[in-house]
Amino acid sequence: MDFLGTTSLGLLRAVPVTVLLFLASALGASLVAAVLVAMQQARVTQGLARAWIFVFRGTPLLLQIFMVYYGIAALGPIRHGFLWPAFREPLFCAWLAMTCCCSAYIAEVLRGALGAIPVGQIEAALACGMGRWTRLRLIVAPQVLRLALPAYGNELVMMIKSTSLASSITVLDVTGVAQQVIAHSYRTLDVFCLAAAVYLGMTAALTAVLRRIERSLDPLGSAPR
Amino acid sequence: MTQTSPSVLSARGITKSFGGRAVLRGIDLDAQRGDVVTILGGSGSGKSTFLRCLNLLELPDAGTIEIAGTRAPLAHDRHGKARIANPKALNALRTKTAMVFQNFNLWSHMTVLDNVIAAPVHVHGVPRAQAVDRAHGLLEKVGMAGFAGHWPRQLSGGQQQRVAIARALATDPDLMLFDEPTSALDPERVREVLDLMRALAGEGRTMLIVTHEMAFARDVSSHVVHVRDGVIESMGPPALMFGPDASPVFRAFLSP
Ligand SMILES: Nc1ncnc2c1ncn2[C@@H]1O[C@H](COP(=O)(O)OP(=O)(O)O)[C@@H](O)[C@H]1O
Ligand SMILES: [Mg+2]
Repeated sequence: MDFLGTTSLGLLRAVPVTVLLFLASALGASLVAAVLVAMQQARVTQGLARAWIFVFRGTPLLLQIFMVYYGIAALGPIRHGFLWPAFREPLFCAWLAMTCCCSAYIAEVLRGALGAIPVGQIEAALACGMGRWTRLRLIVAPQVLRLALPAYGNELVMMIKSTSLASSITVLDVTGVAQQVIAHSYRTLDVFCLAAAVYLGMTAALTAVLRRIERSLDPLGSAPR
Repeated sequence: MTQTSPSVLSARGITKSFGGRAVLRGIDLDAQRGDVVTILGGSGSGKSTFLRCLNLLELPDAGTIEIAGTRAPLAHDRHGKARIANPKALNALRTKTAMVFQNFNLWSHMTVLDNVIAAPVHVHGVPRAQAVDRAHGLLEKVGMAGFAGHWPRQLSGGQQQRVAIARALATDPDLMLFDEPTSALDPERVREVLDLMRALAGEGRTMLIVTHEMAFARDVSSHVVHVRDGVIESMGPPALMFGPDASPVFRAFLSP
């Protein structure tokens, strides 16, 4: 096989690492974001949630990844504690940093959607005697999902691309493999172009999935067909 | 109060201030089963606030409310601020009432059918199939048969309001609260909603209606209540209120 063929194959073999990091981070960040939004509803926990968002949204993800991998993972108690098997793995460190960072962005998206639910629809639920969990499940959550989806989808696309930062702490994701190939072959532009094409494929797939969800949630909506 | 028409609503001494401004200054109101009470009054006189106090969408600062034998669980903290004494009792009170809003407030992410069955199924625990059956009957009653699968957004204002009324009827409430149900409608759509409400009145539904439709109030009310500056300025049967012996203040409100 020629150089481009072998390289493509190598890059494609790294796709599962990128996808795994993305999916795990998206899941973690979304769960943490939901908790952050819940915390913002109560006065006692509001400050903590705000501080979290302030810190993780206000500092570069790359720095956060470095801090987890070179900083926290090197601390004595971690190095010699039961968490070491996890912190030893660069993939885990990248996941942790991405979860924290992206949770801040997603929390803001969810908070915006929560505030955009028409008050009258909440009052209609209150007026018929719906308890808070029924209200959350039946009215609030579906509306938040619907209202948040476009911006949430945007965050997810950003997250796929952000996974490439993990290569800076030796994770062999698509970008990591590309850099490895370049280090051996000294061919830069064509390898990076191939890597970019792989990312395009992944974001295109994600966009298609998001669009389907958007359409199924809102059959009359403005989601492009 | 007689045996045949037991009290459905008894509100006593309802007061409410917003930021130090008294909006309700002591309102007493009763309704017996089958009564249609219309509440008239100028904009900002406190009509909506009063209605919203009855199902505790607003917490009254003082007063007592009893609806169909259930007492509103109001309490006051040590600074005298009103609070809900018991969230379960709050929802128990609310399930005895239903509210129809000026802006319909249908749940936009649910079909017409799902709007109508939501409270029976998820609040009252009615089996879904049974609720669906009943919902179809109610939709037919409000002239919306065949729209069960539609989304609120696909309907005109008058249609949305009729669905909202079906939704309100779905739990067979003891007391229906209407807050200007036709004020957001095009003039030609007002009739279809008023006609429906007339029919409900004819069936003996107990209704409290805030409205600006004077002819409607005169025709269907058992009592007309004039609210002005947070108090009941005058009240009485429509024959009195729309006759020559009505209070001069109310007459001035009717024809300024
Ligand atoms: N949630 C609120 N916060 C502050 N002021 C309010 C609130 N609700 C109503 N008001 C004020 O109370 C007064 C009475 O309002 P409302 O009961 O809506 O009057 P009506 O329905 O008779 O037009 C108005 O001046 C209104 O601005
Ligand atoms: Mg009003």
